[in-house]
Amino acid sequence: MHSADAAAGTARQRKWPSKRRVPVSQPGMGDPHQLFDDTSSAQSRGYGAQRAAGGLGYPAAAASPQATFLDDPMSNVAMAYGSSLAAHGKELVDKNINRFIPVTKLKYYFAVDTMYVGRKLGLLFFPYLHQDWEVQYQQDTPVAPRFDINAPDLYIPAMAFITYVLVAGLALGTQDRFSPDILGLQASSALAWLTLEVVAILLSLYLVTVNTDLTTIDLVAFLGYKYVGMIGGVLMGLLFGKIGYYLVLGWCCVSIFVFMIRTLRLKILAEAAAEGVPVRGARNQLRMYLTMAVAAAQPLLMYWLTFHLVR
Amino acid sequence: MAFTLYSLLQAALLCVNAIAVLHEERFLKNIGWGTDQGIGGFGEEPGIKSQLMNLIRSVRTVMRVPLIIVNSIAIVLLLLFG
Repeated sequence: MHSADAAAGTARQRKWPSKRRVPVSQPGMGDPHQLFDDTSSAQSRGYGAQRAAGGLGYPAAAASPQATFLDDPMSNVAMAYGSSLAAHGKELVDKNINRFIPVTKLKYYFAVDTMYVGRKLGLLFFPYLHQDWEVQYQQDTPVAPRFDINAPDLYIPAMAFITYVLVAGLALGTQDRFSPDILGLQASSALAWLTLEVVAILLSLYLVTVNTDLTTIDLVAFLGYKYVGMIGGVLMGLLFGKIGYYLVLGWCCVSIFVFMIRTLRLKILAEAAAEGVPVRGARNQLRMYLTMAVAAAQPLLMYWLTFHLVR
Repeated sequence: MAFTLYSLLQAALLCVNAIAVLHEERFLKNIGWGTDQGIGGFGEEPGIKSQLMNLIRSVRTVMRVPLIIVNSIAIVLLLLFG
């Protein structure tokens, strides 16, 4: 009866340690209000063997009287209940995760391979010779980035963002201005600018009534490509000083400008650009201005987020 | 530059508050931005002004109750943590 009591006490303790009732006290026991076995001193080892059945919690259960403890039917029921609770919770999360974070949609953006990454990085630094900027479709869904270099992906922006934060820490460290919370500050600041950009562009797309298939995640992907140029600029600035920084940043700014214009033109100015016709008419002009504004904001942000890192 | 996500949230909250506070009768009608003055027929192109007026009207209707909640939370947090 005592072991049943103790096992029930254990099961209850595992889930609600705050409502733990004091187990049946044995003579010669240690502190009855301890939740975990105190293995700091040798003498508690002696208690550990006795106390395992007295119910201390999971770590103690793995100690010596394990065989007798797990044979107990009450503990079996308790473990079965606990594992069914965990399975139920996992099922609930799996069912509802798609409501908050579109996991299946995100998987598309991470379907990349090394060749794609290499070619895309080359395109980001030198977009002048690339001819065909259309994304290929396969029965109404865009092809995965692995098969089409024009498709947006989230792998490069995510990696570039993290690398930017690390490189910023490195740059600040070489100037003796580093402290660990600066990393968090840089990351938070860059993320805040990104969010601001996305919100501003979505707002202007709404106001200009553009019927585009540019989703929010696509937009985040396109706006994240500028981090690659920023990293290049800061690294060159670390190696060669301000001259190197300005040269490489200037080059990357122009490249990103051209890249964004050529990519967004196909998304925002879809009808006009598809035939290669230069844009006329008030509506198309407004859309062209919007594209130019988005593309022009990229070099500005690239400079703004990196100039304080290179002295 | 301490431009954090939290300051962005605060700025967004203030902007949405500003839009929600615009009074229909006393102000918007007087500058010609009332909700009944905008809907100009069933043409294809809504135009920027009517989109803006639509946006203001929808913010004022949709965000009224959530704004009360979020503002209260912000007030409590600012009182507690400065």
